[in-house]
Amino acid sequence: MALLEVQNLTKDFGGLRANDQISFQVQEGELVGLIGPNGAGKTTLFHCISGHHPVTSGRILFSGEDITGLEAHEVARRGLARTFQVYAATGDLTVQEYVMVGAFMRTGSRAKARAKAQWILGELGLKDRAGRLLTEIPVPAQKLVTMAMAVATEPRMLLLDEVAAGLNPQEVEGVKETIRHIHRDLGVTIILIEHVMALVMDVSHRVIVLDAGRKIAEGLPQEIASDPMVIKAYLGERYGQTEA
Amino acid sequence: MEALRNAFDFSDSPRTDLMVVGILAALLVAFPLVPYSSFAMATMIQFLMFSIYGMGWNTIGGYGGQVDLGKAQYVGIGAYTTAVMLIRWDVPFWVSMPVGMGLAVGWSFVIGYPLFKLKGHYFAIATIATSLVLKDLFEVWDFVGAARGLHISPVKYPPPDFLRLIFREDIYYYYLLLAFFFVGILVINWFRHSRLGFQLRAIRDNEDVAKSLGINVHWAKIKTYALATAFVSAVGSFHAVYIKNIEPEDTMSLDISVLIALMAMLGGAGSLWGPIIGAGILIPLKSYLKEWLGAKAGLIGIDLILYALIIMLVSAVEPKGIWGLLDRLRRGRGR
Repeated sequence: MALLEVQNLTKDFGGLRANDQISFQVQEGELVGLIGPNGAGKTTLFHCISGHHPVTSGRILFSGEDITGLEAHEVARRGLARTFQVYAATGDLTVQEYVMVGAFMRTGSRAKARAKAQWILGELGLKDRAGRLLTEIPVPAQKLVTMAMAVATEPRMLLLDEVAAGLNPQEVEGVKETIRHIHRDLGVTIILIEHVMALVMDVSHRVIVLDAGRKIAEGLPQEIASDPMVIKAYLGERYGQTEA
Repeated sequence: MEALRNAFDFSDSPRTDLMVVGILAALLVAFPLVPYSSFAMATMIQFLMFSIYGMGWNTIGGYGGQVDLGKAQYVGIGAYTTAVMLIRWDVPFWVSMPVGMGLAVGWSFVIGYPLFKLKGHYFAIATIATSLVLKDLFEVWDFVGAARGLHISPVKYPPPDFLRLIFREDIYYYYLLLAFFFVGILVINWFRHSRLGFQLRAIRDNEDVAKSLGINVHWAKIKTYALATAFVSAVGSFHAVYIKNIEPEDTMSLDISVLIALMAMLGGAGSLWGPIIGAGILIPLKSYLKEWLGAKAGLIGIDLILYALIIMLVSAVEPKGIWGLLDRLRRGRGR
């Protein structure tokens, strides 16, 4: 049984069809990339899966259970966590407190939540940031913190939305290691939306391509990189020549 | 057990803060030992009452960021419950206060459910409306004395009456309220360390992120609103036995709701000491202005002008109020 199964998912915003009959499966233990041009409907798809948007039609099964129409917090409690692309923090929570909020999903005890947050911050190399305000730390570290918050909820599956956007190549390497660490050592199945090809083609087992709300391709990273439709829609003619 | 430990755990506050707080607490305890005027005593009692109102408001309004401008209705529910039960059935304060809190919390669930479907300004306006509707109802409801209100006659209960809380000297009320005040600080300290407190702060920051961390945003707000209500209602009950004249206008008017929110915002919404700082500044100022300036120069309503100025100043200079300003200075120096 697939851990996540999306069946004919369609999402309309008024007259705009953001997701059109999308179907795919993700097995437990997989690391799947989700790519496509801006406006292809990738983030909308995440919003639908995580319960932040109601779907227009279609079904979403998580671990065999129909989670279509559940509220976002109910989806999260079933072990399906996510991060957000833009997260403008305004509050006065420290990095550790943010991660504790995630940990509080599984425990009511402050001592336990704090111990778990400290452990996760250590795992993701954020220990020295623990006492800082989220707004005070640099963007790459903020991205790691959003991942740490999600991981603190002990998810079975994690949806990562552009965690490497705007980072320099060295920082991308760091994020890549973190994603692999969460996937391999913490045993979390991952779907990641990413524009940074060096990241997504390297870490993904399998890549799904969206364009204009439709799934146009799905396959191994090397297959996707040489797929004429994908090159035309997204990667561009030069991608294959320079990088692949 | 852990809840109790969290309530007494102030270890995340800098030691200098705790020393200042300790000294202020000692001064509050010692205040009646020095010669005082009845005006000063009345002001101090008002200060304590509004501090506790503000602490309650601060849970949902400060930590949760939901600007609630309807807290006065719960002052009214508390005050009327205690007054009605005392006058009609001679029920002591220590019974009527929890009953009032129960009624207020029940009412808060009834209106909280639809209220928290609203966000931002719509929420704030709706809280004003619910409070004013309740006030209007009480003004025509004969059972609670309608617009005439209720009067607790101290002659019927020879003071000092510790069951019904009827005293001749204000000092009794003062110490009783001071005990409430300290309990209130402990409850807020528990709250901000609790799962609910963390969840509310996450909600204020970003509701979508909060949901993705498994937080039932709607329910968390309703629960916190109920907690805030319990604070306000308890002091409302106290108001009844202390003031002894209970009218809808004195307990449930918009002025009171605004003042509660304003104090917490001025002192620092979402911080432990903010509402106390706000009350410590605004209540003496208000009393002074009313007592001298207002009567002498015919400047009735000058306090309202002052509130408006304060709101503008806080939102322009530092949305986190005086406490936020202090915190920013400290962080700036620490770096």
